[in-house]
Amino acid sequence: MANTATKNMRIFFSKTGRAIYISHLDLYRLFQRSIKRGKLPVWETEGFNPHVYITFALPLALGTAGVRESLDLKLIEDISREELISRFNDALPRDIRVTDAAEPVMKPTEIALSEYEARFECDNAAFAEFLSSEHIMTEKKTKRGIAELDLKEHLDILERSDGYLRFTFPSGTEFNINAGLLFDAFEKQFGTEIYTLRITRTAIKCRNGEIFH
Amino acid sequence: MTYKDKLDRILLKVQKPSRYIGGELNSVEKDPEKVTMRFAFCFPDTYDIGMSHLGMKILYSLINDVPGYWCERVYMPLPDMEEQMRRHDILLYGLESLQPIKDADFIGFTLQYELSFSNILAMLDLAGLPVYAKDRPALTPIVCAGGPCVCNAEPIADFVDLCILGEGEEVNLELMRLLERCKAEGTTKHEFLVRAARIEGIYVPSLYEVEYNDDCTIKSITPTEGAPEKVRKRIIKDFDSVFYPDTFVVPFSEIVHDRAVVEVLRGCIRGCRFCQAGYLYRPFREKTVETIEKETISLCESTGYDEVSLTSLSTSDHSEIERMLGTLATYSDAARVNLSLPSLRIDRFSKELVDRIKSVRKSGLTFAPEAGTQRLRDVINKNITEENVMNSCRIAFEGGYSSVKLYFMLGLPDETMEDIDGIADLCQKIIDLFYSIENRPKGGIKISVSLSTFIPKPFTPFQFEPQPTEDVIRERQKHLMEVVNKKRVTVSRSHFDVTHLEAALARGDRRLSAVIYSAWKKGCKLDGWTEYYKYDKWMEAFKECGIDPAFYVNRTRSYDEIMPWEQMDVLVSKEFLIRENKKAHEAVPTPNCRESCAGCGVNRCVGRPCFEYDK
Repeated sequence: MANTATKNMRIFFSKTGRAIYISHLDLYRLFQRSIKRGKLPVWETEGFNPHVYITFALPLALGTAGVRESLDLKLIEDISREELISRFNDALPRDIRVTDAAEPVMKPTEIALSEYEARFECDNAAFAEFLSSEHIMTEKKTKRGIAELDLKEHLDILERSDGYLRFTFPSGTEFNINAGLLFDAFEKQFGTEIYTLRITRTAIKCRNGEIFH
Repeated sequence: MTYKDKLDRILLKVQKPSRYIGGELNSVEKDPEKVTMRFAFCFPDTYDIGMSHLGMKILYSLINDVPGYWCERVYMPLPDMEEQMRRHDILLYGLESLQPIKDADFIGFTLQYELSFSNILAMLDLAGLPVYAKDRPALTPIVCAGGPCVCNAEPIADFVDLCILGEGEEVNLELMRLLERCKAEGTTKHEFLVRAARIEGIYVPSLYEVEYNDDCTIKSITPTEGAPEKVRKRIIKDFDSVFYPDTFVVPFSEIVHDRAVVEVLRGCIRGCRFCQAGYLYRPFREKTVETIEKETISLCESTGYDEVSLTSLSTSDHSEIERMLGTLATYSDAARVNLSLPSLRIDRFSKELVDRIKSVRKSGLTFAPEAGTQRLRDVINKNITEENVMNSCRIAFEGGYSSVKLYFMLGLPDETMEDIDGIADLCQKIIDLFYSIENRPKGGIKISVSLSTFIPKPFTPFQFEPQPTEDVIRERQKHLMEVVNKKRVTVSRSHFDVTHLEAALARGDRRLSAVIYSAWKKGCKLDGWTEYYKYDKWMEAFKECGIDPAFYVNRTRSYDEIMPWEQMDVLVSKEFLIRENKKAHEAVPTPNCRESCAGCGVNRCVGRPCFEYDK
């Protein structure tokens, strides 16, 4: 099979269960191995250490589940969407499932925000008070060091009840807020620990409000 | 709350959580209802190290291939995880079932290095079990140990119920079947152990009485209850058709050796006198090129690894190394998989081989002359000449290499300062050679010298030898630093503290169980990790137990002394070791096994000569 790219593809996958503990770098290697294992016709880099070439639109933080994450690759051979999906799923570990594949429409640079769903157990009154405060200050690591950040400014709450929160945070190549920071800030401010926190990224949206696809 | 739920509460608070949750590709899950024997296979070190270990992968697949038998993987958690586990009442669990291992039928430790001994105690304790075998009266779990260190299991004799000597591919299943029967019959643990001791290769320390002389040397080792006088090492006679996994568990996170691994041969023909593996893994057996090819393809395809390593004690000693590489290269080129070849012998280094490795990856070259002068290389039977080294380096330099790593050992028997000077001289000759080559690579040459300290090990011709004292070792290290070309050569030295403990444990007797217990109580664990190693605590433990490590480390043992491991038979005779020891002191080398038979005794068991000799 000649290693010549013929078609760009965007693969959509879920990362749940035990797979939430896989770091982004490890996920990258995991997909490379799965492509090898599934003998998928994916373009590899040339050179001394050839490797399967894949890129992720938006990394998912360790500990956060995702239901529609994506990665881009180049096919070197025509293969049907159905076969691509099923061969991926045969090669992947159980808790990572490819759900869809299509030619990419949007550019990863168009990504603007992520929608999350969080389930947790904590003092509900305290959490309500936390959310209603004027500022939610936290520290964020940046390339230039640690910067102060007001999460409240960027937080958009879509739905809430006791132990449940649906919200959005900015996402993208330029500016990105890890959903976990919100709960870290709560733990820090109220001197309490949330143990059963489950965060899922439910959607990635672009500047025009459309779902990234 | 299930363990999975409990783990979900803590895993985001620890480093690299994916190593504590299981569920990796190719890990084996079974229906607990249908499992009759559960084997918790413990590697007494962290996941990253343990998951790289080939022996564990082999036995894991072997046991799991048996319906009703379930082998799980268990590793030592790092302190951050241990703290969370203790805070949330999580006992040490198997990665497959996420269930506590205290409920398993077997808890088996593989002992690859002496510095993992304290981790056995730490892991048993984390499992919620008493560390002393005598405090675990129930039939299950049976705590057992295997791996090279059980050739002298005496230091851990008080903690384990039994040891498995030699290769486990057959004996492990025999042992599991026996326990299955004993469970059905409802026997006592003692009855099981007495019966287990009748299986070849099984050593039950509690069935042996050890008496000491006034000078603390051993007076006698007496088997009781029908246990054998000598426990015979198990070996696989038909190595080419021995079980080999067609797949590996592929970790989520990067581990030390993150690649497919194919074992091409077992044993070693070389007989380096310091090398325990060279004697323990005898006889020399190899797989056919066809088997190696089949296993390579199967592993790469089922794991998706893009790198495969051909492993053994000395891969280039395979009788068909060139054909093997040719065959494998055909596959690896087509499948775009990298081929890597560790442990190449310097004197087998042909032009073709260099080209072959180069076509894969251009990393540095590593040679292990081990000693600086020909005389000392003859003492240790490292049959390499300076000419071999130079020829290999020349081929390498002409092939574009400009960095060389050299392994040497310090503190060898009969070593003098001249031998240390020899290390510096050899480095200089390699440097001069480099600059004498016209088409040498651009830039300068870099030599890294790795200087380890000699540790006398059981079942080697040097088992009688002392390790030099700290003063001597430090003086020789210092001397090398003074005479070596510092511009071109960087020297890394092993830490005296670590080799000293390893030396004591390697040739220790049963009295060391008390020391290990005391050290563990003082917080010693993960001793193989510089950041966790507590030498002062270990020395305190020795002192409290009234034991001087020098007794084990720095003492010359006479040929007729009863060694703590005298009841173990690794198929290499003591007479042979004595013969080799004498030749060492005369600086007389022994030809390798392929050239002529040195009469080590292992062919008693093979039932024929290891090689077909011309005469």
